[in-house]
Amino acid sequence: MIKKISVLLILIFLTGPLGGCWDRKELPELAIVLGTGVDRTADGRIRLTVQIARPSAFVAAGGGGGGGGDVPAGLVVWAEGETIEDAEMHLETKVPREVYWGHNMILVIGEEMAREGTRMVTNFFHRNRQPRETIWLMVAKGEAKDFLESHSALEKTSAQAASFLARMKLGYSVSSREFDEMLASKGVQPVATRVEVKRAGTTLGPGREKQPSNQKQVELTGVAVFREDKLIGWLDEHETRGLLWLKGEARRGIIAVVPSPGEPEKEVSIKIRRAKTKIVPQYDGERLLFNVVIEAEGDMLEQQSRKDLAKPGKIKALEGAMAEEIQKRAAISLKKAQRGYGVDIFGFGDAFHRKYKKEWRKLKNRWDREFARAEVNISVKTHIRTTGLLTRQPYLPEE
Amino acid sequence: MLERGKIDSKQAVFLMIALVLPTAVLTVPSVVAKLASQDAWLSVIVATLVGLLIARLVVSLSLRFPGKTLFEYAEEILGRVPGKVVGLLYIWWFLHTNAFILDEFGAFLGITILPDTPFLVFFIAGTFVAAYAVRSGLEVLVRYNQLFLPLILGLLCVIFILSAKDMKVARLLPVLDTGLVPILKGAAVPVSWLGENVTFAMIIPFLNRPKEAYRVAARAVLITGFFLLVSVLVSLAVFGPNLTRAWIFPAYNAVRVVSIANFLERLEAAVVAVWMLGGFAKIGVFYYAAVLGSAQLLGLKNYRPLVAPVGVILVALALLCENTVVLFDFLGRVFPPYALVFELGIPLVLLIVALAGGKGGKKS
Repeated sequence: MIKKISVLLILIFLTGPLGGCWDRKELPELAIVLGTGVDRTADGRIRLTVQIARPSAFVAAGGGGGGGGDVPAGLVVWAEGETIEDAEMHLETKVPREVYWGHNMILVIGEEMAREGTRMVTNFFHRNRQPRETIWLMVAKGEAKDFLESHSALEKTSAQAASFLARMKLGYSVSSREFDEMLASKGVQPVATRVEVKRAGTTLGPGREKQPSNQKQVELTGVAVFREDKLIGWLDEHETRGLLWLKGEARRGIIAVVPSPGEPEKEVSIKIRRAKTKIVPQYDGERLLFNVVIEAEGDMLEQQSRKDLAKPGKIKALEGAMAEEIQKRAAISLKKAQRGYGVDIFGFGDAFHRKYKKEWRKLKNRWDREFARAEVNISVKTHIRTTGLLTRQPYLPEE
Repeated sequence: MLERGKIDSKQAVFLMIALVLPTAVLTVPSVVAKLASQDAWLSVIVATLVGLLIARLVVSLSLRFPGKTLFEYAEEILGRVPGKVVGLLYIWWFLHTNAFILDEFGAFLGITILPDTPFLVFFIAGTFVAAYAVRSGLEVLVRYNQLFLPLILGLLCVIFILSAKDMKVARLLPVLDTGLVPILKGAAVPVSWLGENVTFAMIIPFLNRPKEAYRVAARAVLITGFFLLVSVLVSLAVFGPNLTRAWIFPAYNAVRVVSIANFLERLEAAVVAVWMLGGFAKIGVFYYAAVLGSAQLLGLKNYRPLVAPVGVILVALALLCENTVVLFDFLGRVFPPYALVFELGIPLVLLIVALAGGKGGKKS
């Protein structure tokens, strides 16, 4: 009997703590970080800027009761410190809630900070359990703080806008774990998305017709090039296209603009549907040669010429022009990496390592120099599948 | 007979898997990748083969002495005093290993989901529940395991399949980058883990069909080896060797990376579930081995009075580990040679002496 009663008492007692309620964290008690920026201040300290979501703004949007759009969706707070963790502590003295990193989507590193080295930034984000390995890593031209303070007219916050842009993978986007993987390998130097704050388009709405737009918005404008963890330069949007081709990251959505056959001044747009890149190294102990084979498949979606291009011969010619265009793009990026920066951002070294493991041991410590003087043959195979819904320009008179 | 329960062959396979897998599946990839880089998966295959040999050794030894545990036949083979010394050593090893399992258990929970909780709470909670299971007898532990191990294996399969999207085979290349030596070095760690199967020597007498022990052991080692292999392959294919060795629990991080259609993500709680359910079974088996062994060593009629004191010693031992750095350094560097003495060395000596002295019944 005593045993039964004691068991019952223990059970009753346990129902309290078992729910774990003393340690609960309700949504309204959290300050959910959506985006983070890290800058180097003039006096050598680290400035951590966070964009924090205001949950009520997110709820109002679903309600449809109007007015939701005018509630600011987030706030931007910053603090300085010796380390990121230190800065975070100072940050928490300004935010009346517990800072929660689990939904952080982007990590923007300011230009100055990136030049000094990303290692002291990313370590915090990997060592702590809340921030995720999948956050997008970006480098801001200028200050990361300005970037986070910008606004997005379409999305709730600029952090979301930037992460959605990165997710679409039209440019080169890299998660923090992929960045660190590149950093850890001697056969490739890291690159990260470059972001900039630019003047935004006009926001529409009643009564807004006459207001001049002075809004700022975020844009992905190429990539930042690193040697080890230090920023050494940039590739613009065009050069980034070449980078995507060489890295085998060219995905659907990229457009190749090629001259129309027989009419060089008229252009044809081809939308890439899928692409594949193969890097085949050749090494005889002296001469280092890379054969890069790019295969691309696309649909012709626009023409400026009046001619009927939907003919087998013309399509063949277009495929040739497309291959030439891709080859040219890739060559421009390659030249910039080899001659301009002298770093292997394409992972040629990794490809070399896979094929020549013994030779790699000798070359790996001076790989960037070897890469800079390597010979590279880029060959492109292209294929045009369809011409969209049209055959020829329909609004021309019969000839 | 201290233990009256009987277990069937399937339960024994499950128990042997639970004896190794739960902690190994999370910690092995990082430790092996440190030594063997992208060839870590080859290390695991080598280790599985060695694990099969160890399992075979243990089973042959046990089958020579039907119905007897390691502690009983050690005395029979070596004589009373040396046998007792061997028994004492094994009690120490079961306890010490179990203390490290508790440390890993606490470290994982403390790092991943419960950072504010003192490790002592994990130790006491884990030991307390395990103590209850051990006190209730082998069958209870086995039934618990029979219920949850399929769930654990199923969850592992699902989360590993889901991370397929983030894998790249190129990260596993080149194979045999630095030759065979690092692979063999890397194999030492999973061997010491798989060798924990020596604890099976405490269970074999309670099999209802002891003749199937060979098959049970082989099957268990192969299944365990397979899951270790998959865990290592997944970690390597998602992160590459450089990042794999930097993480402490690469398989856990690999699951965190899973994001399918921006919808199916944040699945790491499943890994924590695997760790909790499996870790408890693993702690339970080692606990049981230590308690049963102590009772046999002391010649007691009932092992139950020993459950509580052994549990207290266990928690105290677990508390000796200062921090996770010491823990993982020990597991990677010290544990393999130390454990192999008990997993391979002593059983081998026992078998040789038994063969030489013609001890033990007919070989079955």
